[in-house]
This record gives sequence, structure tokens and C-alpha cells, in this order.
Amino acid sequence: MSNQFVKSRPLDGLKVCDATWYGAGPIATRALANLGADVIRIETEKRPDGLRIAQPKPDGEESLNQSGYYNNFNAEKRSITIDLTTERGQELGIELVKWADVFATNMTARAIRKIGMSWENVQAANPGIIGLYEPMQGMTGPHSEFQGFGALLSAICGVNYLAGNENEPPIGVGTNYTDYVINPIHAAVAVMAAVRHKRRTGEGQLIDMSQLESSVSGMAGALFAWDNGQISYERLGNRVPYAAPHGAYLANETGDRSDHWVAIACMTDFQWLTLSEVMEQPELANDPRFVTLRGRKENEDELDGIVGKWVNELKASDVMNKLQSASVPAGMVQKASEVLQDPHLAAREFYAYPEHVEAGKRAYDGPGFRLSETPHEIRGAAPLLGEHTWEICSDVLGMDGDEIGQLIAEQILY
Amino acid sequence: MVGALDDIRVLDLSEPLGHYAGYLLANLGADVVKLEPPHGDDSRSWAPFLPDLEEPESSLQFMLLNVGKRGMTLDIYSETGRKVFLQLLNEFDVLLQSWTPQQMESLGLDQDTVRGLFPNLINASVTGWGLDGPYASFAYSDIVSLAMAGVMNLSGFEEGPPTQLPDQQGFHCASINLAAGVVAAILERDASGIAQDVEVSMHESLLMAEETAMQSADIRGIDRERTGAAPGLQVIKLPGMGLYATQDGWVYAMAAGIAGSGFNGLLALMDLLNDSIADDLREEPYASVMAEFSNSAAVFRLLGDPERMNEVKETFAQVDELVTGFFQKYPKEELYVEGQKLRLLIGTVNGPQELSESEQLNDRDWFRTINDTGRGRELRYPGPPWQLKATPATLSRPAPLLGEHNEEVFRAIGLGKSEIMEMSESGVI
Repeated sequence: MSNQFVKSRPLDGLKVCDATWYGAGPIATRALANLGADVIRIETEKRPDGLRIAQPKPDGEESLNQSGYYNNFNAEKRSITIDLTTERGQELGIELVKWADVFATNMTARAIRKIGMSWENVQAANPGIIGLYEPMQGMTGPHSEFQGFGALLSAICGVNYLAGNENEPPIGVGTNYTDYVINPIHAAVAVMAAVRHKRRTGEGQLIDMSQLESSVSGMAGALFAWDNGQISYERLGNRVPYAAPHGAYLANETGDRSDHWVAIACMTDFQWLTLSEVMEQPELANDPRFVTLRGRKENEDELDGIVGKWVNELKASDVMNKLQSASVPAGMVQKASEVLQDPHLAAREFYAYPEHVEAGKRAYDGPGFRLSETPHEIRGAAPLLGEHTWEICSDVLGMDGDEIGQLIAEQILY
Repeated sequence: MVGALDDIRVLDLSEPLGHYAGYLLANLGADVVKLEPPHGDDSRSWAPFLPDLEEPESSLQFMLLNVGKRGMTLDIYSETGRKVFLQLLNEFDVLLQSWTPQQMESLGLDQDTVRGLFPNLINASVTGWGLDGPYASFAYSDIVSLAMAGVMNLSGFEEGPPTQLPDQQGFHCASINLAAGVVAAILERDASGIAQDVEVSMHESLLMAEETAMQSADIRGIDRERTGAAPGLQVIKLPGMGLYATQDGWVYAMAAGIAGSGFNGLLALMDLLNDSIADDLREEPYASVMAEFSNSAAVFRLLGDPERMNEVKETFAQVDELVTGFFQKYPKEELYVEGQKLRLLIGTVNGPQELSESEQLNDRDWFRTINDTGRGRELRYPGPPWQLKATPATLSRPAPLLGEHNEEVFRAIGLGKSEIMEMSESGVI
């Protein structure tokens, strides 16, 4: 990788021992890897990351190296397979901790104890290390041992309560939402802040990141309103208290696709006036029901009826383009295949297509932020399970071939 | 040492989509100054409001996302304002702004110009669509980004409309990425002296939240759609997976064999509560089918095997009906706490009041009280998203009143009383 035409990156030289799995951990360390860090993921064949097993894979494919779910979150990492439930395996894990500047995990406390990677052990082995511990509800407190995935945390942290319609069950948002941006990127920020402190002072530290606290922090509006104004929020569908019209409207069903919706938001009175002009219903501008935001909120059903009727006679893309030409926020509710082909993302070269030995060239999400000089970018695919076991044992842990071979024979390494 | 960024000064001109980024940097100890236009930031007029205060000081959203910052006003589009702004920028390490390419042009402050004038400044941009590409001049809003990023297409009932995420998740995801970009850029500047531009597009910042939808389209040519209350990753309703009504509210359970104690954990919970539904579930035809899918490998394999799914569909539905009946009989908190003790993946659906009273959050002293003298009250704030044990920056400064720190900021760059007065009278501040 090192040639003079490849730009350096901000975390070049940072060493990360990565004992994460699923989403909220691996995406955090992926950000570090795509900023230049050398991230070594410790995995096991006995109990592989569930995402290696999960879909999507090509039809009939069962390989642990073919999951798009796993691969997307692990671009540019190295993978070593160690059985951390064995004593010798744990010793090797601790050797990697000694090598690392950062140790990262999002496992539950119980799983961490089982693999010998508690903060006490990690810190004892490497007193200057930064330890990112990201269990669901933090390292202390009565619920510190509780476990779950993002979809479960979404219930606990308030996503489900607040998403959807008031008279319908709190179904959530259809994904393990908190796993993908809020928790991992908060974690990446925290690690980089701790790296800065370490570079300035030599001091490492523990980052106790409760995914519950992180998630609530990233959607605290309703909680803050409750705590300080006893204002209680219910599910509002696609509405918000500070804008109207604000929603998703079904476009002409025979126009371009059977179920194409368009999101439209008028954040200001002026945008509403513009919308009424674009709809060629200028009389609405003087309609006393709709002149102020307050009026539009009070008559929102009628308002949504008018906008919905107009949208329903047009193609979704035409609605977006007409409104955007007039600077009214509007956009199609895109399906994933359309997002992949989105001309704007294509022009900005958002998706990366690194070559993967087994999976070929598949789409990876680009970085969530860009840097102009020392880029944040994807320079390689995800590792095969255990792809780098030999080279890490040899180059990082300084083991000779006989010893590595012996441990492979004993199935401590794979 | 109070924070990892305690020597960093941030000038925050961002629109509401960037406010949370400034908040995060303040949480790391940075001195963040919120620069607003003279009439105030847009979000000062956004509901909800503290009931007994007047705009522009009553918006709860503004308070929440601008706590810990100092505040000033300046019309940077006026001639004097622009001059003062450039003078100010000399004092800062980081600029957060939300200028579109058109606004940059009208200000004469495109990235190259700013770089030329302030070679050590980290110029961080957060916009709806990024600074180039065919949509760069598009108007943005949170819901529009959720729509265009494909995230909203996954949220809602199968037959119903796509549904937005709560509390401006586009703004938050953009802001979190912006903060990450700024800290990465600070690390680079520390090490090499190179200062650089950070760019965040809200649209792009959300794309990871499509979960597997993008890869399903790419690898299998299949678009994931809304699945209502069932986890969207699953193409079949697994018994014990998803949302269930309880005696007094809702729980979300993940009792399929993907982790924790799985379906056996659910049976153990039924036993613990002396519920005979467990006995029914231990009979055929249920027992053998549930045993088959008691580990994650089997479950994940099933989800890729349409034929087998078809065979077990009916049994799954019958089991799920029994499970549904079980949950309905008990209070949610008991199901949650007792279930989790049995390593069953289960959680309550919490609203703001439950979070406010959460035993776990309160045991960890997560909330903090800030004495907001300007607004004449103590306010209870949520805590930070992380606990950095060696550098625990703690926010104590309330959200700024409009223009609250004008005088101290302007005096610090050498402006005199008469100049400040003049700017005030001419509406520049």
C-alpha cells in the first residue's frame, strides 16, 4: 500500500486490537481503519461474528466470507482467528493487547469475561492502552449485564416509542437502527479524543460507552421536553411540531412505479407560499387556515389532503424536481437499488467497490465524512475469516513457523 | 485536564443540522462559540417551548443542542460583519458552517479562499447534500434526507406509508460524523501541521443506516421493504421475535436462537412465572421445530432457505400465537428484568418518562443539572454519549441567550466599546 502517490491518513500507525462483533463495534473500528489505523479483528471459527453467517449472500452461498452485511462493516481490517476460550488463546489475545494502542469491544460483560478481556486484564497487560467498552447499558449499574441487539435497544432507548403513528403500535423503524451511525460513530469520536489525550500525555483510559446513553443522547428532544416542561410527546407519524406541511405523499400510482412516495417539508412560510405556487394553487397563499405555521398545524389534515392530491397526480421524480427547482425541500423515498444508482452519489463517488478474494467487487458504503488532504476512504475489502492469522502471528507477535503450525494443529489458531 | 479538546476553539455557525456536532465537541472540552445571525438561529423558533418563557429564549431544542456553548450574533453578510468575522476566525481552530456552494460564493468564502486566509483552520462543512454533485444546490430537510437515503423506505407498516425516524436523525447522524471528522482533522493537524477541510453530507451520513438493504440490492438484486413490527432483516416472522403487547405496555423480544438464551430462555421465563404455556410449547409439533432453530447458525441458514421457511411457517405462527398470549398476561418491567436475568434478549418500549426515571441511567448519574440563570431555572440535561474516564469534560454552561457573549468575544479581538455599540445600532449584531 505504501507508495508515494497514496496519501497519508490521520490515523496511520494507530494500532487497534478489535474484539468487536455485529454492528455497533465493527462500524466504529471500520471508521478507524478507513482513517489509516491498523485494525486487527480477533475472530473465532467456533463462534463467528453472526454477521458472517447472516444474509445477504449470493443464492445458495454459505461461506463465512460472502456476507455483504459483514463485509461492509469490516473494510480494510485484518482478521486473525484465535480460540479465546483456551488458555493459550487468551495469552495470544493479551499479546495483541500489548501491541495495541486501542482495544475495542462491544460484547456483553459476560462474553468479555469469558475471553479474558476485561478492562482489568487489558489495562494490567498494557497500562497505556485506550479501552473502548461498548456494552448495551454501560459497565456499571443494575442493568450492566443485560444484552441485546440494536432493534432491542431501539425499544429501550425510545426509537420505537417515538416512531410511527400515535394510534398504532410502536413498531420501530424496521432495522437495528442504533447500531449503524449513532453508536459506532459516537464511539469513533470518543476513541479519537482518547488518542489525542494519549498523544499529549502518554495516558491511556477507559471509555465506558453505554449504547443506551449514546443512543438517548442522539435523540434526546422528547426526554428533555418531558424533564423540563412536562411536555409529553407521542408518535407523530411524519409530522413535526415546527413545520407543515411535512410528510410523505404517494405519487401517481401508474406514473412510474406502483408505490413511489415523495417526502416534502416546508420549514418556513416562504416555502409554503412557494409550494402553493408550484402546485398552481396561488389562492392557498391567502387562505387564512394556512397563512401561519400555527394555522397549518391546526389544519394539517386538510393541508396534507391538498398536497397529497397534487402529488398523487404526478410522477415522484417530477414532484421532486419541480419543488427543488423552487427551493422547497422534497425528495423521493428511494429504495436501496435506487440509492445505489443515485446520480448524485455516483457523481460524488460515494460507494466503493474494493476487490474481495471470494465475493468479488461489491458495493461498500463510503465514509460518513470526508477529509480534503489526508482522506477518509476505503482502500480495501473486508478480510476473509482468519486471512491474516499467519502474518499477524509472525510479524506482530514474533512467533516462528513451527510454533504457529503447532497452534494451528491444536486448533488454538485456525 | 478537563477534556481531550480543552485547548481547541470552535466557531459554530452551523444551521440546526450541525448543532449536535458543536455540542459533542463542547463535551470533549472545546470552547465552542455559537455564532448566530442577529435575529437568532432558526431553531430558536422551533417548538417545543418552555411554557413560561418568550422566544427567542424558550425553544427546548435550541437549549438542548447548544448547552455548553458561548453565544454571539453577527451579520456576516454585511460589510462590517464580514470584516469582523474574518478577524474573529484568526482566533479559532475549527469553523463549523453549513454554507451551500451558492452561499459560499456570495460570501466570497469558498473553501480555497478560506484555506488561503487561514492556513491553520479546520474548515468543517455540514450540508444537506455535500458541496458538489447534481443535488448540491437542493434544499434539504431531515425527512427528505431520510427519504433519499433509503432509510425511510424500511420504516413503517408493509401497507402503510414510509415513516420518518424520531427527533431529526438526519441532523444527528450528520452532526456525529461532523464531530468525528473534526477530531480526525485535529489529530492530523497535531501530528503534521496540516489543517484541512471536513465535509459532511447529511444524505451520505445516513446511508449506513440502510442496514443490509443496499447489499441485498447489490448482491441479490432484491429491495428490502417495510416489514411492520417484525425485524426487517427477517423474511419470516420468527416466534418470539419482535414487538409484543404486555399487560401495561410493550416489550421487544429477540427470543429466536440468535443470541442469549434464545427460545429456551423464553420457556424458562414462562416457568419462572409458573405459566403453563411453556408446557404446551414443549409438546409436538412445536418442540422439534423450535429445537431445530435454537442456534444462530440454524436461524441464519433458515433465512436463506425459502423452501424450509415455507414448511415451518405454520408451526411458527402457532408458536407465536402462544407467545403473544403469554406476554399479554404480565407487566412489562417484570418480563424485562426477569427475562434479562435469564439471558433472554428482551426490552421494554420506553417513552421519555420511563427514560427520565430509568433505574439504570440514574444509577450511573447520567443526567446533569445545569443552573440556567439567564432563563431563571435549573434544567435537567441528558448526559454525554460516552464516559471518557481520564478526560471527563463536564458541561456546566447553559445554552447562550441571543448575543449573550457578544461583548466578551468582540473585546477579545480588540474591538472597543464604540465599535461594538455601532455594530449593535446598525443591526450587524
